[in-house]
Amino acid sequence: IEMLFPPPPPPPLNLLLWLPVMGCDGCPGEGEGTAGPDVPNLSSEGWTSGQKNPPDVYEKLGTPQGLWTGGEMANPVRSACCVVLAAVVVVYAQRHSQPDSHIQYERVGADVTMKCGSMDWDAAVTWTANGTRDMDESHLNGSYLILKNVDLSQSGQYSCYEGSSWHLKYQTYLRVGTPPKEPVLMCRSNNYPKGFYCSWHLPTPTYIPNYFNISVIHGTKDMVCEKDATPKNRCHIRYLQLFSTVKYKVTLTVTNALGKNFTTLTFDEFAIVKPDPPESVVAKPVPNNPRRLEVSWQNPSSWPDPESFPLKFFLRYRPLILDQWQHVELSDGTSHTITDAYAGKEYIIQVAAKDNDIGTWSDWSVAVHATPWTEEPKHLTTEAQITETTSASTSSFMAPPTTKICDKGAMVGSGAMAVCWTAGLVVAAYSILFI
Amino acid sequence: MELRAGDSWGIFTFLCAALCNLPALPALNCSEELGAGQSIQQTYDLTRYLEHQLRTLAGTYLNYLGPPFNEPDFNPPRLARAERVPSATVDLDLWRGLTDNARLAANYRAYSRLLCYLRVLDGQVGTAELRHRLAHFCASLQGLVLSIGGVMSSLGYPLPAGPAGPPAPSGAPPAPNDFLKKMDDFWLLKELQTWLWRSAKDFNRLKKKVPPAVVTLRLEARGF
Repeated sequence: IEMLFPPPPPPPLNLLLWLPVMGCDGCPGEGEGTAGPDVPNLSSEGWTSGQKNPPDVYEKLGTPQGLWTGGEMANPVRSACCVVLAAVVVVYAQRHSQPDSHIQYERVGADVTMKCGSMDWDAAVTWTANGTRDMDESHLNGSYLILKNVDLSQSGQYSCYEGSSWHLKYQTYLRVGTPPKEPVLMCRSNNYPKGFYCSWHLPTPTYIPNYFNISVIHGTKDMVCEKDATPKNRCHIRYLQLFSTVKYKVTLTVTNALGKNFTTLTFDEFAIVKPDPPESVVAKPVPNNPRRLEVSWQNPSSWPDPESFPLKFFLRYRPLILDQWQHVELSDGTSHTITDAYAGKEYIIQVAAKDNDIGTWSDWSVAVHATPWTEEPKHLTTEAQITETTSASTSSFMAPPTTKICDKGAMVGSGAMAVCWTAGLVVAAYSILFI
Repeated sequence: MELRAGDSWGIFTFLCAALCNLPALPALNCSEELGAGQSIQQTYDLTRYLEHQLRTLAGTYLNYLGPPFNEPDFNPPRLARAERVPSATVDLDLWRGLTDNARLAANYRAYSRLLCYLRVLDGQVGTAELRHRLAHFCASLQGLVLSIGGVMSSLGYPLPAGPAGPPAPSGAPPAPNDFLKKMDDFWLLKELQTWLWRSAKDFNRLKKKVPPAVVTLRLEARGF
């Protein structure tokens, strides 16, 4: 059973439509907004992925009356020239044109019958596939070419020549493919509260061109999802309102020559919040501390407002030689000191982020490696005793650093107290002296 | 030794008294702001707790209402009558530009009204378990309203006028049928959930407004 996809308009007709627009910049009636011929549904339905070229062109054509408005004498002459030129080109094209050039889309596993244009069944013809002579005679049924159970390798150009004269009678491009499976759609807000993006792909390739159309409905309102330049299968939406009780419904339709499929996602504004992983993760050893590693990172750059929408973080680390991760959850701050690292072992560290209150955790950041500080190996000479004493004295003066938050408060508290008392004492001293 | 006004001993005694009281002064001067900083954090924590509690309550209640209300994909259109429940939805720039007073007042008004509606619900509900849960939730929600009121007072803002009485008689007419009544309940819970999400963000913003120096002084004052 033949399943022919309606071919695109043959080239000569297209030229006829385009020429008056391209050749007549000063033509009257242009831009007057008279209604053009009805644009077929096919071209407005997202076939060109949201770009608007063909409908605009059709609109500019106008009715014949529209073309002739404007009262100057020179314009009808110019229009007449355009029409004559168009006619000449059409005639030329038709005389020297190739026979109808088609694209034919067929399903994998289907049986394809190709007729040699208008030739009779019993005419003597020769078929070629991609230029090479189709050797197997069993594929022919009279002048028809039969291909059974087509597979992907049989895609290509098939040409039919009249037996004796080798005159090209018919040519078609066969593209073997599959109708689309249900597409995979994902929507996510990595820049809350600005908006969200949706991205999609097909789980299996179809081997023929596919067209995607996406629609977003919020309650009763239709929203426009602006297509991104890169990556291609992605579009983004800005939130008009925040803290909405109404869900968003996103429908993705994929169409190709052999079929159609779609998928829908319905979600609340809060459910799809997932930040990007933290950036610039850096892990450094802490001098003179063989069991510590200092980790710091930055908020993901895509998160627009960390002040009002703070992020919390999840840190995981393990030595390379072990499989078990250790975890720390941090409600604020973009740094942390690991205090229980195994001395001398190389560690792998990752960080993830999440909005403080809503949504899900980001993916893990890029992994960083670090090894805690280790002492320089000692030489077995008398110098060892000297180095030992010097290192011991320096380390005794260093108070081990503890978690920063607790320290800050205590330091400020005791310092302020000291200031109060010394100030009081000074005032008292002066008052006594000046009595 | 006599103590006369202007006497050096008098000055000295005064200074001693002042010194003894000096550590307590920061607490006295900044008590209002200290109170606010602490209250904001407490209110924020309360909204998170309520949001967690609501998840269980809503699950039970929607199951009680039955399908389609307890289906996860249930996405009904918003009927006009549901507008009487205060909505958390707001334009982004408008929300950002709210003054502290406006922000707090919006929260206070919303939860006061939501509490009223919930109490009406409490009286009508069937099972004992549900009544118990609702009562518990109402009590916590009452606590939240008081907490927000406390923050407003400590920052010197006047409390907005509360709702006069039960909303039903003065506001929209009661639902004409059972299904619409259930829809009202559904939207009430939905708005409550959204408000709790919004409040977390509102109080995050307010937290940032309280200057960090006040927070450290709070630690110092506590030591005394």
